[in-house]
Amino acid sequence: MVGKEEVKPVAVLVITCMVWGALLGLIHGITEKKIEEAERSELYRTLSEIFPNAQFEEEEGHYLCLENGKVVGYAIVVEERGFGGRMEVLVGISEEGTVAGVRILTHGETPGLGSRVAEEEFLVQFIGKDLEKIALKRDGGEIEGVTGATISSRAVVRAVRSGLENLLGVVR
Amino acid sequence: MKVQEFTKGILKRNPVLGLVLGLCPVLAITTKVENALGMSLAFTFVIVLSNLLISSLKKFIPRDVRIPTFIVIIASFVTIVEMLIHGYSPPLYEQLGIFLPLITVNCIVLGRAEAFASKRPVSETLLDTLGMSVGFALSIIVISFLREFFGTGKIVVFGHQIIPGLLSSPAVGMILPPGAFLVMGILLAVMKKAKVM
Repeated sequence: MVGKEEVKPVAVLVITCMVWGALLGLIHGITEKKIEEAERSELYRTLSEIFPNAQFEEEEGHYLCLENGKVVGYAIVVEERGFGGRMEVLVGISEEGTVAGVRILTHGETPGLGSRVAEEEFLVQFIGKDLEKIALKRDGGEIEGVTGATISSRAVVRAVRSGLENLLGVVR
Repeated sequence: MKVQEFTKGILKRNPVLGLVLGLCPVLAITTKVENALGMSLAFTFVIVLSNLLISSLKKFIPRDVRIPTFIVIIASFVTIVEMLIHGYSPPLYEQLGIFLPLITVNCIVLGRAEAFASKRPVSETLLDTLGMSVGFALSIIVISFLREFFGTGKIVVFGHQIIPGLLSSPAVGMILPPGAFLVMGILLAVMKKAKVM
């Protein structure tokens, strides 16, 4: 027979896991919608940094940017592999097919080094450029990479290029 | 209630520079003073509340399974805090979000649960964890200050420039992993020599 002393630790551990598991599930259920909402409003806030006076409509994986009912641009979220893992890049293009703005939504780049690709100073270089010019200077393009963070800079360039290519397919 | 339960965490048994615990998140996030402030806040929140819970439950936790039980409590607690902040306070999440999961693996939290909270009353646990939080915050702020200053030449906290660019050619290595070990080693040596610990 198994004694009481042997059953107790197992029982306590099982109960602890069940209680916390249930609690986690419960709170996940409560916060899931809220988190989704928060992420969506964050995305729209970022979109309006690129297109200040526009309204946005979601359409088959990309966003239409409308001003007074007229399309002024398109935007798309691109996933790319950076130096420190997954990176989400928001790419906006204008009607003419050039970049209207780029924002990094999430990234895992080295703080203080690769993370500088998320700063205005680097991202502003993409504005107004077309597919041909978007590459690092050392790769024959017109984008000045962040010093000491070539891999991160290249990842952003790749993301912008694939976003632009995707959106150009939509425009035509 | 003894005041030294609070004060011991600040110098004598400082979790980072005295006990040399929880180095993994410490080395990883001390690239900027801003990160250190965010981490300290999230850390205080988790260590105080999870250890208070462990201290009040200590009678029900059998010795043989105490470590897994502590881990389940701490990890679930961190996850719940993360979900709540993410859902209800997105701006705070933006600042603290990346630090919260790191706290689960911070061995100071488990260390205090094992060494203190599981044996002492709730009131002393409160003092102990608050002291540990202050000690933790002070050490990572000092480390990150040195690294950010020598690595970038300036200190920028939440968009405000505290110290303008003073160095013309900052040593980028200081904000890379080797810089973390250098600063940590020098600080430990100074503390040992000065016999502060």
